[in-house]
Amino acid sequence: MKNKILVFYSISLFLFSAFSYYFVDQGFSYLVKIYKIFPLPANIITFIYIVFIIVFFLLYVYFLILLKQDKLKMKSITLLIGISVAVLFFSHPTLLSYDIFNYIATAKVSYFYKENPYLIMPIEFRDDNLLEFTHAANKTALYGPFWILLTFIPYALGLGSYLLTLFSFKLFVLLFYLGTLILIWKGFKNIKALVLFGLNPLVLIETLISGHNDIVMVFLVLLSYLLLLNGKLLLGVIFFILSVLIKYASIVLVPVILFLLYQRSKNRKVNIDIIFYYSFILMMFAFLLSPLREEIYPWYAIWFLIFASLSLSKKMIYYIAFALSFSLMLRYIPYMLIGNYLPPVQSLKTIITFSLPVFVFVYFLFKEKIWPKIS
Amino acid sequence: MKKLGEMLLFFIILTFLLTSSVRAQSGYVLPYPSSMPGSSVYKVHLVWEKIMEFWYFGSLAQFEYNLKQSDKYLVESKTLFEYKQYLLGFKALEKSNHYFKQSVPRLEMAKSEGKNVELKEDLFQQAAKKHIEEIEKILANTPEVFVWSPEKEDPSTLEIHKLIKKSINIRKNAL
Repeated sequence: MKNKILVFYSISLFLFSAFSYYFVDQGFSYLVKIYKIFPLPANIITFIYIVFIIVFFLLYVYFLILLKQDKLKMKSITLLIGISVAVLFFSHPTLLSYDIFNYIATAKVSYFYKENPYLIMPIEFRDDNLLEFTHAANKTALYGPFWILLTFIPYALGLGSYLLTLFSFKLFVLLFYLGTLILIWKGFKNIKALVLFGLNPLVLIETLISGHNDIVMVFLVLLSYLLLLNGKLLLGVIFFILSVLIKYASIVLVPVILFLLYQRSKNRKVNIDIIFYYSFILMMFAFLLSPLREEIYPWYAIWFLIFASLSLSKKMIYYIAFALSFSLMLRYIPYMLIGNYLPPVQSLKTIITFSLPVFVFVYFLFKEKIWPKIS
Repeated sequence: MKKLGEMLLFFIILTFLLTSSVRAQSGYVLPYPSSMPGSSVYKVHLVWEKIMEFWYFGSLAQFEYNLKQSDKYLVESKTLFEYKQYLLGFKALEKSNHYFKQSVPRLEMAKSEGKNVELKEDLFQQAAKKHIEEIEKILANTPEVFVWSPEKEDPSTLEIHKLIKKSINIRKNAL
């Protein structure tokens, strides 16, 4: 890979990290003062965001082309991942989401106030300055108990400092991202998936910038699959249950786990590609059902992107997943531009999210199923 | 003219009397009655209650738990008294009192832990007012004393009104 591209990628990441501080929470008044010296109108901010997203996806496509041509060696892949991790770790999470503050608030309710976060809302602690940052203070814990248990680690590492806690949560999530990549690389020995998943801009942004815990769930699912495939059935089931207890979405994978358990208990060989294919279908199903709970959030794509990346046989899967990754990152535009969720923001978000993936799906359907029959 | 003045005075006095006899009612909402003693699921309910006591850890959650239980047993007591199940109603009211009293130290504990309990204190006062309203209704519809005569045991006297007055006092202390 050319050094120029590597430098360009690094600079783009660095600038995007710096750009993220433009969205710094009002609670960090000293940072607000530094980064809001030059106020920019919403349309300029949105334009800059779009440019960054296009640049990252173009670079991603370029990396994939290099990979296909066998020009992207392991050393370069490691370097690209290393740069992404090192630079994006220092970005500010509120660029696109405030969820990390909810994680911190829930951890504080549990470990500082020693209250049950499923019963007591952060808003109950009206004197606490954490409310300045928390955007869902009027909600009890939304995540699984294992996630709340795990958050003791980054919360304790924060030593009571809000900024330190914020970055220890980011570091915590980052370690699970690296853990997932190690499982893909060493466990499943799938270099292609390593690039497809590890360098996907949506995965990078939603995990390393926003610090979403979906990657923790994904890590535990992959670990569970690996253990089950290696015949360690009990451990495999335990890790699968733990993944469900992070974020309940992985519960849809129960049929796959049961199938794996059945096959392995009979000492039968398992076609891992089929496992990933059905896992993709099920997680996509969970993703599409998410509006029943709230709405489709871009980081939910991580649920199916991992299996789309690992599934080698069906190209169409990845093209749809790739299109969705791109359109989901553009889903933020209406709110960024208009600044509220009033109509037509929600409709615009839906149109932006599904137009491209539906087009890709129809294109592939025509190309692979209909065209061969009529030509 | 004099008649009109008299009529006006009469209406003013009537209005004053009527309005002064109407007391402000608490907006606090009590739960629906749940399963009653004797029902097949009542024992399951009691076990569930004990389990939930552990789930409601933390001083604020414990306060909520105790207040909820007090509400629940008050409603249970009222229902049972309405059906003239005096012994069961009596026991339920005792339980309601127990949980109501338990709420106080939990709230104090939360306060001592530096938690802002203003909203909870307000809620507690509203609950106390509502409880008093309901207990006074029970007072109006129950005998002062009831002698409970089980088949194989000695009869016992239930001093219903004494318990009701004690229950009201417990709530009044919270105001």
